[in-house]
Amino acid sequence: MKTIEEINRRIKNGEVVIVRADEMPELFEENPRRAAEEVDIVTTGTFGAMCSSGAFLNFGHSDPPIKMTKLWLNEVEAYTGLAAVDAYIGATQISEDKGFEYGGGHVIEDLVAGREICLRAESYGTDCYPRTRVETTLTIDDLNQAILFNPRNSTQRYNAAINSTDTVLHTYMGTLLSNRRNINFAGTGEISPLVNDPEYRTIGFGTRIFLGGAKGFVVGEGTQHDPKNGFGSICVKGNLKEMSDRFLSGATIPGYGTSLFVGIGIPIPILNEDIARNTAVRNNEIKVSILDYGVPRREKPIVKEVSYEELFSGRVEIDGKKVKTSPLSSVKISIEIMERLKELILDKEFFLTKPIQSLPRDTELKTMKLREEVPFVEDVMTKNVIVAHPRDSIITVSELLVEHGIDQIPIVDKKDKLVGIVTSWDITKALARHEKKLENIMTKKVITSKKDEYLDVVARRLDKYQVNSTPIVDEENNVVGIITLADINKALRRR
Amino acid sequence: MLKFPSDVVDSPILAETVLKTGVLINILRAKVDYDEGTIVISILGDEEQQRKIVDTLIEKGIEVSRLEKNITNDISRCVDCGACISLCPTGAISFNKDWSINVDGEKCIRCGVCVEACPLRSLSIQEE
Repeated sequence: MKTIEEINRRIKNGEVVIVRADEMPELFEENPRRAAEEVDIVTTGTFGAMCSSGAFLNFGHSDPPIKMTKLWLNEVEAYTGLAAVDAYIGATQISEDKGFEYGGGHVIEDLVAGREICLRAESYGTDCYPRTRVETTLTIDDLNQAILFNPRNSTQRYNAAINSTDTVLHTYMGTLLSNRRNINFAGTGEISPLVNDPEYRTIGFGTRIFLGGAKGFVVGEGTQHDPKNGFGSICVKGNLKEMSDRFLSGATIPGYGTSLFVGIGIPIPILNEDIARNTAVRNNEIKVSILDYGVPRREKPIVKEVSYEELFSGRVEIDGKKVKTSPLSSVKISIEIMERLKELILDKEFFLTKPIQSLPRDTELKTMKLREEVPFVEDVMTKNVIVAHPRDSIITVSELLVEHGIDQIPIVDKKDKLVGIVTSWDITKALARHEKKLENIMTKKVITSKKDEYLDVVARRLDKYQVNSTPIVDEENNVVGIITLADINKALRRR
Repeated sequence: MLKFPSDVVDSPILAETVLKTGVLINILRAKVDYDEGTIVISILGDEEQQRKIVDTLIEKGIEVSRLEKNITNDISRCVDCGACISLCPTGAISFNKDWSINVDGEKCIRCGVCVEACPLRSLSIQEE
């Protein structure tokens, strides 16, 4: 049994024994009691994209002064619903001029790196704040405060992602190739902070941590903190002015948006054998579910349960095939963080703190309460579908379009299986090019949907492929309905 | 990289070249526009065989340039996360023992999937 005070005294006397989280398992297995007695601190680390991150900034007052109601930093909007010149820049806010290529995360990185930022603000003007516009350039040194304040970081564990559909998906879990050709996973496994203290015996409100290259603090539990299911998280803050762009990097998650790579290191004081045992965790003991991101729902089906050891091996077997894996967090920089934290403590620049309150261990994770159910395709689709056959003449099809007042006709074969689709635009093109055969003008690669899909999912599909309608097919590719953009707009407007 | 001027865009030059030299090639990427075409090939064979292909192509009016560098990684931007690794179809990107990213230009087929997926925008493929 040791106390934090004793460990801090040992730091002061230059006697402290520190090991990295990846070195602890071997020491502990050799002799648990000795490991618990001799090791004072285990350093942990993680470096990954953490979307729930951002910074509070105070710009000081201009003359004449302005109460900023709208603010852009390098064309990324920051939230100003605070006092006159306070703002919060969030990592995932995308820029108005560069889209996904530059966002709030990049603004934070540019500030930390000391680069100049363009500020543009608007206001309605008041008696005390008469100014209505301001434009200037500034660096982090020109700000009064720059406080990194991340509502949810360093989540205990994550699910991994795979894609069973036949198209590439761009998700917050990175690029997922079609037909289960890659697996992406996040987190650093056995060296990750909360994994080494899963019962929050040492990490709590007020714990001093390594954050973005400087000293920071755990403010409390993170948003969506879900301790019962092993998905705990922390809310952290620190002085952005002291941080380094080595441990804070703006990132673009292609097709998804922007984020911020955040580096966090937490020292775990080894107060007793139980705490020591928790820090001796190995990658093969940490389970991860690989979820199918091809299903755009809140609950995604589990494709396989694996361990971090399997994920870090580079390949996981799925249905007899070796599928390549990619971590999305950096083990290299996480190790650097553990080493850097160790050096800071050895140099007597970093002392441990006892939490002033424990992280909650019993909070429940809620889902969004909805006023009404989202409609399914089946509720909205047209069921009596007008169809045509590949051998039909273009005249016949154009007559059908006019007669029924529709803009597209699915083409089916003799067994009623979908083989193509023809739109009124295709007919116009056929006339212009003197094309006679329906087969030659129909689109053969049809964007189809299923009747048990959510309408929002199909709306997103029409938008993604820039088409105006989608035939609804069953498992046998028989046309059971059709849905158009107009149908969707009508149904969604009613919400 | 081969540049096809507009007057030869519609001739089967690559097929003729392979038949004439008996040397095999791999087409890595091809882009044909109305006024010119660009094709990236790798030549399977020793230096003499490579020479044969290049000489034949030049005779036929094709502009041939050697792409020295395929995929490159700007290590000042790269954070060694590994998002690119599982996307590479040929295994040209891997981890070193210390978990840093290793890029093997020789294995790269210039598909560009990793360039698009890199969160830090540290990967690039030399065009010319």
